[in-house]
Amino acid sequence: MRRKINAGKILDTAVTYVILLAVAFVFFFPCLWLILASFSKSGSIYSFDGFFPAQYSTASFVKLFTDTTMYNYPKWFMNTLLIAAGSCLLGTFLTILTAYTMSRFQFKMRKPMMKTTMVLGMFPSFMGMTVVYLLMTQFGLINHLGGLILIYASGAPMGYLTQKGFFDTIPKSIDEAAKIDGATNFQIFTKINLPLSKPIIVYTALTSFTWPWSDFILPKLLLKEKNLYTVAVGLMSLDETEFARFAAGSVFIAVPIVILYFCLVKNMVNGISEGAVKG
Amino acid sequence: MKEKWNKFTSAVRDSSWKVRLSAIIMGGGQFLYGSYVKGILYFLLEAGIVCYMVLRGFEDIKGFFTLGTQKGDAWLGTVGDNSVIMLLMGIFAWIVIAAFLYLYQLNIKDAYHAQKIAEAGKRPLSFKEELAQLLDKKFYITVLTLPVLGVCVFNILPIVFMILIAFTNYGGDIVPPELVDWVGTANFEKLITLSQFAPTFFKILGWNLLWAVVSTVLNYFLGLGLALLLDKDCVKGKAIWRAFPILAYAIPGFITLLAFKFMFSYGGPINQIITSAGHSAVGFLDLDAKWIARGIGVLVNCWISVPSIMLLATGHLSNRDMSLYEASRIDGAGRWKQFQKLTMPFMLFATTPVLLSQFIGNFNNFGIFYFLRGGLYVDGYFLASDTDLLINWLYNLSIDNNYYCIGAAISLVIFMITSLISLIIYVKSPSYREEDTFQ
Repeated sequence: MRRKINAGKILDTAVTYVILLAVAFVFFFPCLWLILASFSKSGSIYSFDGFFPAQYSTASFVKLFTDTTMYNYPKWFMNTLLIAAGSCLLGTFLTILTAYTMSRFQFKMRKPMMKTTMVLGMFPSFMGMTVVYLLMTQFGLINHLGGLILIYASGAPMGYLTQKGFFDTIPKSIDEAAKIDGATNFQIFTKINLPLSKPIIVYTALTSFTWPWSDFILPKLLLKEKNLYTVAVGLMSLDETEFARFAAGSVFIAVPIVILYFCLVKNMVNGISEGAVKG
Repeated sequence: MKEKWNKFTSAVRDSSWKVRLSAIIMGGGQFLYGSYVKGILYFLLEAGIVCYMVLRGFEDIKGFFTLGTQKGDAWLGTVGDNSVIMLLMGIFAWIVIAAFLYLYQLNIKDAYHAQKIAEAGKRPLSFKEELAQLLDKKFYITVLTLPVLGVCVFNILPIVFMILIAFTNYGGDIVPPELVDWVGTANFEKLITLSQFAPTFFKILGWNLLWAVVSTVLNYFLGLGLALLLDKDCVKGKAIWRAFPILAYAIPGFITLLAFKFMFSYGGPINQIITSAGHSAVGFLDLDAKWIARGIGVLVNCWISVPSIMLLATGHLSNRDMSLYEASRIDGAGRWKQFQKLTMPFMLFATTPVLLSQFIGNFNNFGIFYFLRGGLYVDGYFLASDTDLLINWLYNLSIDNNYYCIGAAISLVIFMITSLISLIIYVKSPSYREEDTFQ
């Protein structure tokens, strides 16, 4: 009897590990493929030996940063960094403030505003793109990195729900104690709640950084000059023969994000699940 | 409602002539009750709005209805009306009027308030004190002004504009300098009756619904299964196993998609293996690869979305009440029964909002087929391919081909479908019906 249970358990464990190995392979293999491709010597996907390059070198990376006449990768990279950093700063600021207000203040327009944002979220994301384009031509912000930052940052407060969920969990009794001591609401926010909300600020900053970092629709619409491209638009414009260069460019921008994610994965999970429950 | 009305009428009877002055000259009441700066500010606001209305406002409102009467003529050198700008300015004028009406009633309320203070024999707040309130009692006004303004300009204004465009004939040949006109619901009728649009529309709609259901269900159960697998006691080194899906989760989506496109292309590794085995190359994402391409889309979408579901499910699984499992085991429940009766209800309860947003996200998943098969137009479809979703079609029509009004009508249809489905799921979901089952 006991041996039978043991046999079942061993079989169960074996099957589990086989599935896990398969899963790991499925997720890891494309990444490995891309990384190795970026180190291929010839550059074209046609000279590959099955999945992997026949010969390895770092030529693609060197070419990526030095050969800038056709594809100016360093410039694209700086553009992307500028846009992402700008909208991250501005967007985080606006989102945190909005979420905090929605969580802490009771005012007449609160419920209508929450309902409005929910309805607005139902519209297809780039339904208004043509109008945004029109507005941007009116403001003279076509081919202008600042215009993109403006749009990303002003769209950011729409996703305040996760952050509101976080602020809902900070007990209000602290606020009341401070109020009795004569603190204004402004002071309560800056001196008490802001220092407590570090994890959610990190989460917000990360999400509002990665969104412009990997978005392609808006930059494609608003940036028409090759030197103003972001990495996403630029890599899309690469020719099919330039596979190694594409791989190198992708690896180069994916690595910082991947490292960030691994460092902050705990925050991310908490952020996601909190937003989900309180949604 | 009636109570409000009674309160309102009694306030009207009760109000002094100074308050009534405020109804004509904004800020007059405040000024006479001693709040000079505020009174002057209100007055300047009224003067400003009158100037705006005289200088542009009336014209803009008129333009909103006519959408231009004078067509430009390059030969005669006449500058015509630009219907699109007129519509935009018309919407803007309505917003200004709405904002003004709001401030107007605020002004009267404030004047009445000032009267009450004066009757009670108190001193009205000085302007400085009122400003200080913006950092305290009215902190929310200070904070929300900027975000609300941004959302209004870059989210609400475009959406309102596009909704209105759905009822005009803007697009195709009719773009400025041609004059645009209101056409009522003609675009929607075209969409479901005209042989140009209707077959494409229904084919895409059917595939879009199928896609959304299949990929949501698949992603959800694969993600949940993976989380349960990693949660097993016999698995050692969970962090390492978990790292692989997280890696996939962290890579920006467009890189994954472009890489998969390369992988399935003619010269790609999969075709190389096929050709070296002596078969001819397969056009996985080719024009005639309808179901193969769709299948690849579903699988690639799994690769991208399963890790996020897994992370989420892992978070929720750790919140389970393990004593329930212990009790059910003593009662003789097998693992499948436990999954059915304990895990599933709990997970469905906890993740309904996420499931919903996943469904909406998949329904409007633009990236997948844009990258895998972008720019293909297939026979039998009007400016679309057989893998395109409504949102891809919308993009093809309105951004690549200038069919603005039809595009706008499609966005409204998408909006109606997604909001209807969310409403149904929300009302039917356990997290809505029995709010405290698991608390």
